[in-house]
Amino acid sequence: MHLPDGFLDARTALLSTGAAAAGITLAVRRVKASLTPRQIPLLGLSAAFVFAAQMVNFPVAGGTSGHLIGGVLASILLGPSAAIIVITCVLMVQCLMFADGGLLALGANLFNMAIASVCGGYFIYTILRRLLRGDPLRAAVCAAAFAGWCGTVLASICCAGQLALSGTVSWSLAFPAMANIHMLIGAGEGLATGLIVLAVLKSRPELVAGFAEKPMESRGTVVSYGLLLCLGLAVFVAPFACPWPDGLERVAESLGVSSKAAAPLVTTPLANYTFPAFTSATVATAVAGALGTLIAFIAAYGLARALVPALKSSKADAGKNHV
Amino acid sequence: MRAAVEIKELSYRFPGRPTPALDRLSFRVEPGECVAILGPNGAGKSTLLLHLNGLLPEKFGDAPQLWIDGEPVTPANLAQIRRKVGLLFQDPEDQLISATVFEDVAFGPCQLGIDGPSLESLVKDCLERVGLPGFEAREPHRLSHGEKRRVCLAGVLACEPAVLVLDEPTSDLDPRGRREFKALLQRLPGAKLMATHDLELAVDLCPRSLILDGGKLVAQGDTLQLLADEKLMLAHGLERPHSLLHRHPHGPAYQLHRL
Amino acid sequence: MQARTTFEGQTWLHRVRAGLKLAVTLAVVLFTVMLPRRPHLAALVPLSFLLIVWLSARPPLRLMLKRLLVAEFFILGLALLTVFNPAAAPLVAAALIKSNLCVIALLLLTWSTPFLEILHVLRRLGLPEVMLSTLALMVRYLPVLREESRRMQRARASRTFSSGRRLAWRSLGNIIGQLFVRSADRAERIYLAMCARGWK
Repeated sequence: MHLPDGFLDARTALLSTGAAAAGITLAVRRVKASLTPRQIPLLGLSAAFVFAAQMVNFPVAGGTSGHLIGGVLASILLGPSAAIIVITCVLMVQCLMFADGGLLALGANLFNMAIASVCGGYFIYTILRRLLRGDPLRAAVCAAAFAGWCGTVLASICCAGQLALSGTVSWSLAFPAMANIHMLIGAGEGLATGLIVLAVLKSRPELVAGFAEKPMESRGTVVSYGLLLCLGLAVFVAPFACPWPDGLERVAESLGVSSKAAAPLVTTPLANYTFPAFTSATVATAVAGALGTLIAFIAAYGLARALVPALKSSKADAGKNHV
Repeated sequence: MRAAVEIKELSYRFPGRPTPALDRLSFRVEPGECVAILGPNGAGKSTLLLHLNGLLPEKFGDAPQLWIDGEPVTPANLAQIRRKVGLLFQDPEDQLISATVFEDVAFGPCQLGIDGPSLESLVKDCLERVGLPGFEAREPHRLSHGEKRRVCLAGVLACEPAVLVLDEPTSDLDPRGRREFKALLQRLPGAKLMATHDLELAVDLCPRSLILDGGKLVAQGDTLQLLADEKLMLAHGLERPHSLLHRHPHGPAYQLHRL
Repeated sequence: MQARTTFEGQTWLHRVRAGLKLAVTLAVVLFTVMLPRRPHLAALVPLSFLLIVWLSARPPLRLMLKRLLVAEFFILGLALLTVFNPAAAPLVAAALIKSNLCVIALLLLTWSTPFLEILHVLRRLGLPEVMLSTLALMVRYLPVLREESRRMQRARASRTFSSGRRLAWRSLGNIIGQLFVRSADRAERIYLAMCARGWK
């Protein structure tokens, strides 16, 4: 998902950089205010941890393998503010040390993976964990798995929005493609996130932010992250998601961009010419999305049910799998 | 004369643990003296060392129980204590936090406000003292284990401590690394206190030893005599070093020969 | 206190100040990105510039191609999206040219500039202290953690006798969880070691 340079135009890249910078500034402030000196080395080590975890290969089908992205995992383990800083550092090192992801596109990558994915995943994790009754461990694993899936999909939707806003690929083409691929990738991410959170909670629950006695993020911070996320979605996604035909033009105008510049050059043959086709495509996407989300949630719940009681009843079995 | 280290009735319990990690410890270390702290794993050796630097306890009691160079260890003078006590951690990876050797050796002096040419000459000097001249620009992860440990030592020496506290200074070193590091320690002035499982190190460097078990001081005295007491050694998870059998035919080890 | 890392195989490009290289790379990328959305002759400007730098610095071709290939996957994936529309051909071609030029520019920067020097530039640019310390610690401990994770995976593999995917995911989850626990413990020891040398 690391966007290279050359796919986003300068305007979108700068817009994303601004949004990412706002989020990171907020996170830095929060971390300065709330972090004890004792926790400062933990940020650096967590960044190295996320990077090292990304290098672990999970076997997928037919000899291929995938790896963790880790944004949602970091937000669950460290809280959103620290996670934003950690993932930001990971992406910066990947860009400036390994040339992974573009330089001008760094802002967009930061927004998608360090802010949208981290904050979105964190919201879903916290809300779900509170809603789910019963065993707190099982609730946490289910919430973590589902949040991991959602965070991945959310980041890909933002990415599709940025591509469409740049005029590289039309929204009606980019959105379903990105969302569909990442609904699959997200399944792996969610599964891995759930398994890792379970492993940490079983051996050292006190290390997980907000699980033992560690304080949760303050309400104000959560609200401001939410606002930022909504703002980003409004800029990158809303112009395209809205069913009125002139929605794109209107937003483009209000952003001071001529509609010509924002109109994508590549479109599907039908999408933008006939209004009914566009709506039906949107509806179909919405239905598919809702269905995918439901399946992901049921899968996360099933995973948690399968993992937690089984592990509780047989500690010896858990020890056997350990490392 | 002021003791380099003086401890009176020091006790400590980790939060949430039933048994104390340190149980009413009392001892003295004279200036320039080299003392080994021996004992099985979990005896409280590392916990004791962290106390010497004021890193433990988290909350200080009313009356000081530790004095370094005559100064009580209290929250008010922690900075001074940490300057006087140089602590070498067991795993050099934990101590080497900077990206280059130079920055790492300079870490302590920078906290003291030293910079510019005086900092550079200090770092150069410290690296020469540990036998790594010209290593300034090297990166820690490209060093061998023994080199890492020496850089750590240079970083500690750069703060010019009066007391050197070492946690397992020779663990994970190959025989040559161990020999060289031992020779290096021998050349350093000042009081030294080292927790170790390396009994040869204790024999060679430390005339006096303390034996810790279960947080209690179970024995102290002449290193050779302590190590020759097989019953004491076995009771506390230790064993007499083989070198004792050959080194002192007329010393305490002579009796061991007959066994 | 800026200690420059020196190693074998340095070229003139390595000796250029990191800040300058970063600025030039950004300028090249910006110029390339702002080119029109069809293959355009102006692309020859960054191309010839990068070619001159490349030929005079001579980076190891193999390493660079390997990294270029990694970047190419994404580029091809996106190109595939638009391949069914013949009208998109010039756009895809332009995007391919642009992204390849940008990737080469970035590769030249990362190949010739140790991250430490970039870190010094970021410090001068006023990046918040907490991010600088996180970046510095991250770069320092990345090899340590990677080795730790490798050791754990090897230990797991040595005791794995079946090739079930389910079991593999479970134990990989455990390994990563354990890696986090160890990282947190190490962070605690690092904090103590920093305090012991008068930090804060």
